[in-house]
Order: sequence, then structure tokens, then C-alpha cells
Amino acid sequence: MKGRRVVITACSAITPIGHTRAEIVDSLRRGVSGVKPLREDHLLSKFIHSQVFGTVDYPVDFDFRRTYRKTMGPVAYYACQVAKEVLDQAGLPPEFVTSGRLGVAFGSTHGSPTVQREIYKTFFGASQSEFRAIGAVDYLKSMVHTTAVNITKMFGITGRVISSSTACTTSSQSIGFGYETVKYGMQDAMLCGGADEYDTTTVAVFDNLMACSTAFNDRPRCTPRPFDRQRDGLVVGEGAGAVLLEEYEHARKRGAVILGEIAGFACNNNGGDLILPNRAGISETLRLGLEDAALRADDVDFVSAHATGTKMGDVIEAQAIHAVYGDGPFVTGLKGYMGHTMGSCGVIETILTLYMMQDGFIAPTLNLEESDERCAMIRHTLHLQEQPIRFASIQNFAFGGVNTNLLIKRFV
Amino acid sequence: MTREQIISEILNIFSREFEIEQPGLDNDLRETYEFDSVDAIELLLGIERFLKSELTHDEKKMAMEVRTINHIVDYVERLVRVREREAHQ
Repeated sequence: MKGRRVVITACSAITPIGHTRAEIVDSLRRGVSGVKPLREDHLLSKFIHSQVFGTVDYPVDFDFRRTYRKTMGPVAYYACQVAKEVLDQAGLPPEFVTSGRLGVAFGSTHGSPTVQREIYKTFFGASQSEFRAIGAVDYLKSMVHTTAVNITKMFGITGRVISSSTACTTSSQSIGFGYETVKYGMQDAMLCGGADEYDTTTVAVFDNLMACSTAFNDRPRCTPRPFDRQRDGLVVGEGAGAVLLEEYEHARKRGAVILGEIAGFACNNNGGDLILPNRAGISETLRLGLEDAALRADDVDFVSAHATGTKMGDVIEAQAIHAVYGDGPFVTGLKGYMGHTMGSCGVIETILTLYMMQDGFIAPTLNLEESDERCAMIRHTLHLQEQPIRFASIQNFAFGGVNTNLLIKRFV
Repeated sequence: MTREQIISEILNIFSREFEIEQPGLDNDLRETYEFDSVDAIELLLGIERFLKSELTHDEKKMAMEVRTINHIVDYVERLVRVREREAHQ
């Protein structure tokens, strides 16, 4: 079914390797890691084997009025900040923002875990007075759609709300579902993205599953190591990202700067195990994405791999990439720079790919020094490439067997 | 407890919880200070802490009518009178 063209007219990210476009591009070009020692949290950190975290360790200048702040946990601060920057950058007419033709697709892994932690402390506290200390706004801060609706409240957005919460595919689904919403005419623009805050609970969960990196606790910047022989697991991180998707004619008529175009999207499920990566399921997502974009495999110059740095996940993904693309496109695992920013990884990796596409370079996979022979059949980006990208594929896979493939096109 | 003491505590709550400093006693709180239903619920928690007494469901419903600081003070005065009466029975 042919739909309308959908373009990207603004983007912004808060990442462990920088906030502004210039900072992020500089980190990618210079191989700067945003992985830092895990902070003491006086609760879980001393029990966690993995002592590293992809950390936003610079101040972000939030300037929100009280009426907006009161329903926000840290994750919503991140979400509203990148949304604000995107709307400022896009320059949409104020009457369009509130017209009902702009919607929001935004999510996080699980609301605000910082607020949830306080609620649980109160639940398990001894006294009645402590129970009553749970504030009226605690639910609004911790519900899974807290990011999306804090954004709609702050900007008076009255269109559709989609709030995906599918762990690592949260924000790639936001972009994908936002794309389909605009493509098929339900909205003229969608503000899409995801966020996740600093949270040791997530680290503890993956640590218990023995999925986290532990061998580089004394050298945080050396992990994660996507596709590398010495990789030993993922590194949890924090961050946020937002993109504005707009129907092409709408963007053109108002003279918007077009940063790139969404060429296609696919999402499927492995239909089985909720944890183990599945080559057939992933390969099918990649194939479906190409089909949706009406592209051949050799049209794609660059693959942003999900590549978390786990033992099995990277092997299965490399096999799937090879099965669909062969050894044609450069493949980079951007998590090498900042770890796994969970619900925000899809949108952050999309924005980083967009920056590289605009500037004509491909960043190498940080910490990939010697490929695991089981991952070696694809074209790894081992060094910075001054190389144009026409079409890029951004791949993300989540617990629960959810897979996404987003294809973006350089706009010329 | 005097009306002045109640006014003083309510203004403290507004300053501490809502960052609203020295509101006019008869100003419409929603129109002037964007005080909304979420704030109203938080205010009730503040009043419970102030009175060291839990509000009944009916008492909470009565609070939905307040629009100004003076309304809130009237409301708290009624609560105080009820509790003083109950204490003497």
C-alpha cells in the first residue's frame, strides 16, 4: 500500500557522548566513550557485578515551569527536553502544534524507576503515615506513558498518542509507528522518540541474567565491545532522543529544513522464546524492512547494528545481516560508544546515523579490535570512513522477541 | 488554632509545595497560578500532615469546591472545629 512520503525535519538527543550535534559528532569522530563507573546508589550497586554505566555526566539545563515539572520524574525531564529542542528546531507554526494534526509517539522502558523505587519503599514501610506519603503525582511520574503525556501537556499537543514500551525497541517502534501514522494520513506530523533515566534496577536485572559486562570494571571505556572477541556483555546506559517526522509536502510548503527521509519500517516477533535472539526472526525483519522501502539489499550502504556486546546476540545478528545483506554495507555497533540506552537506543542510533549521513562519514565500532570469527563474515567498520551514506538500516531487537528495522534515506 | 496560624501554614504549603509565593487571598488559584486538580490532591496531603489527622472521603470531596486561599482557610477552620469537637466528646 503506497502512502505519503515522510521526512525528518528536526532531531535532538541527550546521550552519554554529548548533547549537542557538535559534541556527539566529535565523540564519534574521536572515539570518545560515554561509559563510566557505576554510581553508588546505597541500595543495589554494591551487589551488582557490572560496575559500569553509560552515563550522562554533564548538566542539562532544564528550564520547565512548575506546572510541568510537578508530574515529571527524571525520564520525563529528558523526554520533554529533547521534545522542546526538536519543536524549537522545527519551527512549526504554534497553531499547527495544537491543531490535532501533530501527534506524539514516545516511550520509555518503564516510566520512572527512581519514582517507582520510592513508591515501593513506602509500600514496604511499616507505618500508615508512610503509606499516605505516596504523592498524587507519583503515578503520573511512573506510568509507562509518562514521557508521551508530559510532552503533550507541555506543548498542548492534541493529536494521537502512541506510547510503546517494548524495552530495547521502544523508540525504534516510536519512530516506525509514527512513520506509518503520517504515511497513511492519520497525522501530518509526529514527534517520536524515547528516553530512559539512570537506573541501577535495570543493571541488576541484566546482571542477574549474566548479560552484563563485568570484565572491564576497571576500564569502563573499553566496554561494551560489539562483535569483538573479548566482548563480555552489555552495558546499561541512559539517554533520550526525539525526531520530528513530517509529511513531505507539509514540510516543503512551509520551507522546513529536511534532514532525511524515512524510507521504510518493519516490526515482527520471533514467536517463541522471550530472551534468546532468533536468527530467522531477525532476518525476516531485515527483509521486511527492505520490502517496505522497496529497496534491494545492495542499496543499503550502512547498517547500525543493535549489537549490545553479548556473547550470543552479536553472533546471531551478524549471521542475520550476512544472510540479508552479504558483506556489502558497513556495519557499526554504536553501543560501543555509550552502552545500551534501553528505551532510547533506537532513536539515539537513528539520530547518530542521520548526523553521519549528513556529514558523509561512518564511525567505527568502538572497542572492536579483533572480530569474533563467528561475526567476521560482515563488513565491520574498523576505522573512521569518510564515506557517503545513501540508505541506512537501523536495527533494534528487544526482550520479548520484538525486532525492528528502520530504513532512512539521505535527503538531497 | 487561630485563623492567622492557618493562613500562615497554608501559605507555607503553597510556597514549599507549589512554589507560589504570597498569593492573593481572594485570587482564583486556577486562573492566577495554574493550580489544578493534581495540586488540589497534593494540598490535601499537606493539610493532613498539618492537622496530623487523616481526612475522610467526604471531607476530601468538600475540598473540590475551594477556589481561593480564603476558601482553603475556611475549609481548614471547619476541619479543625470538627476535630476539636470530637476531642471533647
